[in-house]
Amino acid sequence: MFNRGKTSLPYLFLGPSLLVMLVLGLVPTVAAINLALKNRVLRYPDSDYVWLRNLERLMSDRRFLNAIEVSAVWEVVTVLGAVMVGIAIAVYLFENVHGKWRQAMCVLLITPVLLPRVSAAFIWKFMYSPLTGILGWLLGLVGIHDTAFLSDPALALYAVALVDIWQWGLFFAVIVLKLLETLPPEPLEAARLDYARTWQVYAYIALPMLKGPLISLVFIKMVESLRSFDLIYVMTKGGPGVATETLDMYAYAQGIGLSGKVSYASTMAVLMMIATTLIFTLIWKRVSKWED
Amino acid sequence: MGRLIARCAVWGVGILLVLVAVFPLLWALLNSVKTLLDIVTPTPRFLFTPTLENYRQVIGSPEVLVGLTNSAVIVGSAVLLGTCMGVPAAYVIARYHVPGKRDIQFFLLSLRFLPPVAVAIPLIAIWVDLGLYDTRFSMIVTYLLTTLSTITWLSIPVFQRMPREIEEAATLDGYGPYAVFWKIALPNCATTLLGGIIFSFVLVWNELMIALALTSSNSATLPVVASAFTSMGQEVPWGVINASTVLLALPPLIFVGVLSRLLNSMLKGK
Repeated sequence: MFNRGKTSLPYLFLGPSLLVMLVLGLVPTVAAINLALKNRVLRYPDSDYVWLRNLERLMSDRRFLNAIEVSAVWEVVTVLGAVMVGIAIAVYLFENVHGKWRQAMCVLLITPVLLPRVSAAFIWKFMYSPLTGILGWLLGLVGIHDTAFLSDPALALYAVALVDIWQWGLFFAVIVLKLLETLPPEPLEAARLDYARTWQVYAYIALPMLKGPLISLVFIKMVESLRSFDLIYVMTKGGPGVATETLDMYAYAQGIGLSGKVSYASTMAVLMMIATTLIFTLIWKRVSKWED
Repeated sequence: MGRLIARCAVWGVGILLVLVAVFPLLWALLNSVKTLLDIVTPTPRFLFTPTLENYRQVIGSPEVLVGLTNSAVIVGSAVLLGTCMGVPAAYVIARYHVPGKRDIQFFLLSLRFLPPVAVAIPLIAIWVDLGLYDTRFSMIVTYLLTTLSTITWLSIPVFQRMPREIEEAATLDGYGPYAVFWKIALPNCATTLLGGIIFSFVLVWNELMIALALTSSNSATLPVVASAFTSMGQEVPWGVINASTVLLALPPLIFVGVLSRLLNSMLKGK
């Protein structure tokens, strides 16, 4: 670092921004924890500390336990789905599509993730609709006629998850493709000279070389998948019944609207915050490891 | 012969992939210029007389206009404020000795990963207590958290990648630290910085949950207004829904080129 002498620039440029972020970041976090320990209901201004009573009530709340289960299924399906779809498409493009075509493909593949979740949800909700949706018609052509996926408790969650995988899987395909492009070509060529099959080249050489970045992608998707709210809210509102009610959906339903049990909802939010922080710290440690 | 089949298969997969990526959006676009009778058919119709009636209805409805204005003001202000505070902060982190630099970066990224429910629910109580619930001001402040942390985070590597020699030469020419920033660093990095700023714009433009929780009617943003369309009247107005879907998706899609370049530059840096 060259000598800049004494200057006020770093204080003036960094100080206020950092202060604003600290306030904006810490106030909701502290308030969430504070609320979680109380019995605040939006309708009444006063409230008392009940400490861990909310947590106790949550543990015997069957709807909450259902939400955990739904969230867990959602996490597994969307994380694995998006990463696997991403890898498969990336390998296909890396093998078969080159030059300008590849660039054009990349631009097309990142459009779904840029769509507002509300838009994506409406588009697919309409395509899924049983009598007039185009998916029902397509499946009807191959002889599948029972296509009310979003109102089937056993399938609704997977139908919504497919939209999430559509958005993120295609986006991850572009990232994995760019990562494959950064690999040195020699080991892959050597393997091909030794008559390795294409899938072997990727399964045993290319993908293991990208293990670090790929695991980071899994972690990023894990945190991102916790925000399932927008899609589910528009497509099913948590229904049918509670079949697609994830944690953030249930917390929202409790905290907002007529009931407004902000404390109860806050307890759930704090639990999600703890989960996020755990995953996030793991990512950070990993990223720091690469940079060293 | 076998080769020919393999080539066809490769092409087939490629075309299928393009269809999967693009068709849903094109289908919405097509449906947005159909009359309801052309939409609600058991067999999808690709040929029909197009109409702009749905768009007229969307733009003519007062809620959409309010939502559009709110979104423009709230998202615009949050991005502008985030830029004015975030870019200089990123420059300091990139170029000066700051104690606890890694902790600051950890903090920035953790803000991005905070679950939206954990932000939305306590903020309902806070804004209600302050008497600011359902105002544009409270939404701008809330979104500033997202834009400021994202812009700062994405601008740091941009400044780090700029060759230091340019600034050193300017210092030797007698430029002070402020002049180096305004006249050298900022103009040099402006186009690359724009990528991160646009990304933060897309994030808050698309955001639904926090807006849904923190607004009711006065300052509802466009996603909130659009998400309420399902329950309009008895008949589901699919044409209008498709038109509003397309309008909502338009701003982020305009920037697809810029964002794809941002992605390229980020992954090349590794």
